[in-house]
Amino acid sequence: MAKSVKTLTAIFGLFLVLGLAPLAAQNLEEKVTLHVLKNGLTVILAERHGAPVISTMYGFKVGSVDESPGITGTAHIFEHMAFKGTPKIGTKDYEKERVLMEKIARVGREWSLETAKGDKADKDKVAALRAELSKLEEEQAPYIVKDEIDLIYSNVGGVGLNAGTGTDQTSYIISLPANQLELFCLVESERIRNAVLREFYIERSVIQEERKQTTDAVPTRLLSEMFMGAAFLAHPYKNPVVGWASDIHSVTLEEALAFKEKYYTPNNCVLAIAGDVTPAKAIPLIEKYFGDIPRGPDPPVFRTVEPKQLGERRVRFEFDAEPLLMMGFHKPNFPAKEDAAATVLSYILTSGRSSRMYKDLIQDKQIAVSVNAGSGPGVRFPNLFTFYATPRFPHTVEELEKAILEHVEKVKTEPVSERELQKVKNNLEASYIRAMSSNMGLAGVLMRYQLLFGDWKLFLKYKDLVGSITAADVMDFAKTYLTAENRTVAALIKKAKAS
Amino acid sequence: MKRQYRISAAAIAAVAALLLAALPGIGQKHPRELTKPPALVFKPDKPVSFTLSNGIQGLYFEDKELPLVWMAGRFKGGNLWEPAEKAGLAGLTGTVLRTGGSKTRTGDQINEELEFIAASIEATGGAEYMTVSANGLKKDFGKLVEIYADLVMNPAFPQDKLDLARNQSLESMRRRWDQPIQVAYMLALERVFGADTPWGRRTTPATFKTITRDDLAAFHARFFAPNNMTIGVVGDVPLAEVKAALEKAFKGWPKKTVTLPALPALAEKADGTIYYAYKDTPQANMFLGHLGVRRNGPDQYKLDVMNNIFGEGGFTARLMKELRSNRGLTYGINGGVEAGLDRGAFMVASQLKAAQFLEALGLIKGIITDLQTNLVSDEEIETAKNTIINSFVFNFEQKNSLLNQLMILKLQGFPDNYYETYIENIRKITKQDVLEAAKKHMDPAKMIIVVVGDEKKFDKPLSTFGKVKTIDLQALQTAEQGGQK
Repeated sequence: MAKSVKTLTAIFGLFLVLGLAPLAAQNLEEKVTLHVLKNGLTVILAERHGAPVISTMYGFKVGSVDESPGITGTAHIFEHMAFKGTPKIGTKDYEKERVLMEKIARVGREWSLETAKGDKADKDKVAALRAELSKLEEEQAPYIVKDEIDLIYSNVGGVGLNAGTGTDQTSYIISLPANQLELFCLVESERIRNAVLREFYIERSVIQEERKQTTDAVPTRLLSEMFMGAAFLAHPYKNPVVGWASDIHSVTLEEALAFKEKYYTPNNCVLAIAGDVTPAKAIPLIEKYFGDIPRGPDPPVFRTVEPKQLGERRVRFEFDAEPLLMMGFHKPNFPAKEDAAATVLSYILTSGRSSRMYKDLIQDKQIAVSVNAGSGPGVRFPNLFTFYATPRFPHTVEELEKAILEHVEKVKTEPVSERELQKVKNNLEASYIRAMSSNMGLAGVLMRYQLLFGDWKLFLKYKDLVGSITAADVMDFAKTYLTAENRTVAALIKKAKAS
Repeated sequence: MKRQYRISAAAIAAVAALLLAALPGIGQKHPRELTKPPALVFKPDKPVSFTLSNGIQGLYFEDKELPLVWMAGRFKGGNLWEPAEKAGLAGLTGTVLRTGGSKTRTGDQINEELEFIAASIEATGGAEYMTVSANGLKKDFGKLVEIYADLVMNPAFPQDKLDLARNQSLESMRRRWDQPIQVAYMLALERVFGADTPWGRRTTPATFKTITRDDLAAFHARFFAPNNMTIGVVGDVPLAEVKAALEKAFKGWPKKTVTLPALPALAEKADGTIYYAYKDTPQANMFLGHLGVRRNGPDQYKLDVMNNIFGEGGFTARLMKELRSNRGLTYGINGGVEAGLDRGAFMVASQLKAAQFLEALGLIKGIITDLQTNLVSDEEIETAKNTIINSFVFNFEQKNSLLNQLMILKLQGFPDNYYETYIENIRKITKQDVLEAAKKHMDPAKMIIVVVGDEKKFDKPLSTFGKVKTIDLQALQTAEQGGQK
């Protein structure tokens, strides 16, 4: 259901992989142009003149981590709303719509807030408001040109129109034939500047279904939600990107918009275009369309710091599914040296059939069918070194946990080998080259490094950082961070069937 | 370029101020006011074809952009030709061909050797083909080809790696009941194609347990031959070098007769039944449909356009527009009439809001019926054709995926000029063609509906929509897992 999934939440929500390492740095630097507009919008162009196509990705440095209680899921909700058009796009008569939308905003807010009272809600009032809202939505419908952004791009051959919300960022993507750059600039500058939140309460219902489909019915996602909720006490990395069900049911149009106003500014945005594009043609067009979007205030200072973990945390819950295990340890984030050591260790432990845990736990002991180490859920703030593992029947999560921890202990006492370190470096170098083999892959990696860390060249410098990691660094990392009191373990246990 | 329009001076409350922002002014111009850009001028490269001395068919693209090389070899033959009592044999043969190593290199040695140089070789057993693919850095091309050919020609299929692969598969079978949409898909395949056909049958622990290493070796021997192999190579390695390396690596591999027996023709079994399987889950997980069409048939272009309008065009398709965008009943829905070697399937798939599931079924049926009764609008057919025609250029962005596509078309018997004539063939399709295709290839009275969920949460009983048969998931699962409980 490729195109129908209007969010990449799942992908960004966990394990944003930064382990793409640099090799032929000069090769990429020759292809890339960086340009900053007066309003602060940062533009990155990467030239790949093969087929006459371009892939674009622009992102705002805002994600679920920027939400507060009551409005969890709002970054994602707004991302959906950004496809609903503008005063020019998506309408047959905007002036008539405006009148109706003012009423929809008011009735929708009253309905949402009354509903949020739960058992104490006035049921008759809820029903009356819902009926009034439906009537207004029906009145607006004839003026709407359905999903016109999609229609416009489809007609010119655009593919992969989509967006994704993560813990750290929200990004928008489309690939287009190379002759459609001006159309891209018009549509995207228009929706950044003038997004109209049509059909807000219908889309909110879509997102309620999205949560059920992608979390409530999916054992791995449900476990991850439980795990993050336990691993973080204070930091909003504890919240799921899609938001808690109660909040998705009650966020109002005004709250979604207030969130947008705070974060969707050109100075909080990076636009990357990769493919058959030249700076000489692209920069003037981008200046023309995006240049007069007013600069906004700096996003609010992020204040919450996760306190040091003082003891092991455990979660166990029953569900109608086979067992699963997650384990995690707090650690520093990119670009700390410890983060690079964690990347090296995750490769050595679980990457490929020659990795330690594959050989021992999957191939020899056969107590697991998968074990994956990584970092998550985000990278803007200190995060976790995680294991996600699937036991093989009749082996239990307890057995698997014990076996994983034995490997962790071994890393603390025996240095990893030079050959293992070299293998990691070889693989990181190759994955850097592979990242350049598709337009969207390249646009994505450049955009993310620039947006989240302020310099796309950190993508290149990461090689040196990982290359500098020694066996002693890996051991130090394990000794310091992979400790019992810094550990969270979550397990999904198969629910016993009623006989 | 006026930005924000002020409604009234009295709007002083915070909420009202936000509302102003919610309702921006006139905006810029509409995209239709833009001058149309000049048409794309693009002449795609054609791959080079070659034949090796032992009969292997080759396709090649040079790609100097990055120091990489990619290969994929395909053999006709796959799970459609495995014995029913050994369902899963093709898949296991693929997996163990790779993990089991060759007669002179153990699987573990190959794992270490390839992963150290950031290269990979993987083998899979699909429905119609066995595929062995590889990629690595160009400097390692020689070594990669050597190991690749060794695995293809001389797999060892050791018992321990068969046991490993089987145990992993048995665990996947335990877990395939965990996600309701997967369960619905499995049940739908069985009922649309027939549980006793190669297309619809379910691999089970019982069939897996009978498979021996001799079965793997025999399955390999049956289909892996140079005269049954097509290989594609893309990368920064000159053609002469590619040919020389392949000749050397596959030297002495004898040709042999490979036969693919004709498969029994599929018969339509769909009779409008609703199959309901209870699971305690928040949504109604649905697949509906009946048999589809034969590949490369007379209506293929009509169906490409019809499918785009019906349910494959994302947000411009009717299913998505109505069920998601207008009604908020689902996060996603898609559907269409697909082609297959014998018959593909007509299917619609979605995870729907349980409290309005019957309403949704009515809407879906209405969309099908309307497509069979009325001509689509001018705008719809234009959009569908434009979508297909103008996005065609994306087939050429990545040379390895292009070559892969071309190899598959060739193996599936599409004419050599299929790609070159595709756009012209789509251009010819009319509204009348779409109507005819919809009438001919979809039948809402016959389609079966499989739903996994909790009927108590539905808006109406399923029996109000048609004849219902119940499937007991618990019993199916227990029967399947038998002694493992």
